[in-house]
Amino acid sequence: MALRLLSSRRRLGSIVLSYRSPLASLHSHATSFGFQQVKEEEKSKLVSNVFTNVASSYDIMNDVMSAGLHRLWKERLVGKLSPFAGMKHLDVAGGTGDVAFRIFDAVNSVKRRALRKVDEASIEETQIYVCDINPNMLNVGKQRAAERGLSDNRSLVWVEGDAEALSFDDDSMDGYTIAFGIRNVTHIEKALAEAYRVLKRGGRFLCLELSHVDIPVFKELYDLYSFQVIPNLGELIAGDRDSYQYLVESVRRFPPQERFAKMIGDAGFEKVEYENLVGGVVAIHSAIKL
Amino acid sequence: MYRTAAKRLLGAGLTTSRLLRSPKLTSSTIIPSSHTSNLCTSSMSNTESPISNQSGPTSAGEGPRRKPRPEFQEEQARVLSASLRHVARLGWTEEAMMAGSRDVGVSPSIVGSFSRKEAALVEHFMDECLQLLVDRVDSGLDLQNLIPSERISKLVRVRLEMQVPYISKWPQALSIQAHPVNVPTSFKQRAMLVDEMWHSVGDGASDLDWYVKRTVLGGVYSTTEIYMLTDDSPAEYRETWEFLDDRVKDAFDLKKSIQEAKYFAQDIGAGVGKSFQGLMNGVMQTMSTRGGRSSSAF
Repeated sequence: MALRLLSSRRRLGSIVLSYRSPLASLHSHATSFGFQQVKEEEKSKLVSNVFTNVASSYDIMNDVMSAGLHRLWKERLVGKLSPFAGMKHLDVAGGTGDVAFRIFDAVNSVKRRALRKVDEASIEETQIYVCDINPNMLNVGKQRAAERGLSDNRSLVWVEGDAEALSFDDDSMDGYTIAFGIRNVTHIEKALAEAYRVLKRGGRFLCLELSHVDIPVFKELYDLYSFQVIPNLGELIAGDRDSYQYLVESVRRFPPQERFAKMIGDAGFEKVEYENLVGGVVAIHSAIKL
Repeated sequence: MYRTAAKRLLGAGLTTSRLLRSPKLTSSTIIPSSHTSNLCTSSMSNTESPISNQSGPTSAGEGPRRKPRPEFQEEQARVLSASLRHVARLGWTEEAMMAGSRDVGVSPSIVGSFSRKEAALVEHFMDECLQLLVDRVDSGLDLQNLIPSERISKLVRVRLEMQVPYISKWPQALSIQAHPVNVPTSFKQRAMLVDEMWHSVGDGASDLDWYVKRTVLGGVYSTTEIYMLTDDSPAEYRETWEFLDDRVKDAFDLKKSIQEAKYFAQDIGAGVGKSFQGLMNGVMQTMSTRGGRSSSAF
């Protein structure tokens, strides 16, 4: 017990120093579970528990917490991606399939097909891989696909995998999206490096994530909402206060927009840009591999 | 004016189109560190990849080396140039750009990152044509033996002939340029084009005349461009060139007639002034002689 206290105090000391160097602050992300300090090896297990618990009510909670806005944000993400028929796309941490379904619809919509000269063969070739580390989330996604009548469709492929160690080949993807998932990985730079590896030349990386708000009054309101309202909603609707406490804390611990953009650039991407939505509550970072 | 300023700022050998293609910032943009070296190595970009292949085996001992990363603008320019080959078939559309990107060996996803997609293709074409025009003029397009109106005619004709391969899809390009979002850029490109033409003709005016000349030439150019769209004349747009010559003549006559109108107005003003003065003198005389009878001072 005393030993544990000692070790946590030492870690606290290293945390104070860590804010001076970017490498150490990455380390701090790897060892943070919300505002708690945890061992690196434990973090992924803890995150996994969170998502196993919330999987079934994930979509409802998204709607309630963001007042339905998360749909608009995902629409904007897919709009920015500009999917085309015949593309190979990877959606990481996309368990319940929100982004994947939108991409599928964008490529296959009848209106789009009528307006543009697309041949059937390239629509057949479209492959959308949905990768998630948590099988429960994937099951919810497969269920939703079945509800839409897409369970036999060869375009949607559900894969279990880790964002830090993808099972896909180098230079195989035209697009890579990660929506509300990157703050849950233990080592962000590894996930970015993997994204760089699997993308083809000219392929795009898009990341939709909750981010930092700087606008004076709005920031206070947002903090109030996050820390007072959301855990209570979690308790009410999902019966799980702790998971949603983790969620709001992990948002605060994630690097701010500029720093995350720099990390993306360090991974080798070009033309790194970000767009703030709702004053910074959500940010879409985009980049290209060249 | 733009051209001389550009030459001063960027040095010879660089195109004025670089000024137009500076990235537009949305909320925030990170500029890659190799951006500043872009201006110096733009001409080397095409030779970069073969060089890197050759240096691969010799650098094996240094550990994993990243191949030199082309600047995004270079890649975009390359994709757009390749896309132009597909425009005649597919129009000024994303499909043409995706086909172009496949030609260059890049994933079609890159097209999704171009701002105002089709407009990017059209604007790239306009820049390239302007550059071609500048090159043609520099490499000795024969303008010395012609009078100014004929020089202008020739320049406009040279420029419009560049559009002939795309003429079937040019109305689409015009409509893209007329989009409110795209108007600022297309207006700027046309202004540069017209300025370039007057510069080549050897015009050095810098007063109000400067604006008048460019506006008039802009009008002549646009009307000829549109006339060309419906011209079916057998011998390579003969009717368009006749139309062009007439309009240029009108423009020069207009200039002359404005000048003449000015002189005419001055003359009339002088005449009226003189006759008014004469009248006043007469009145004064009469008054003074009448008054003179009663006074002996005058």
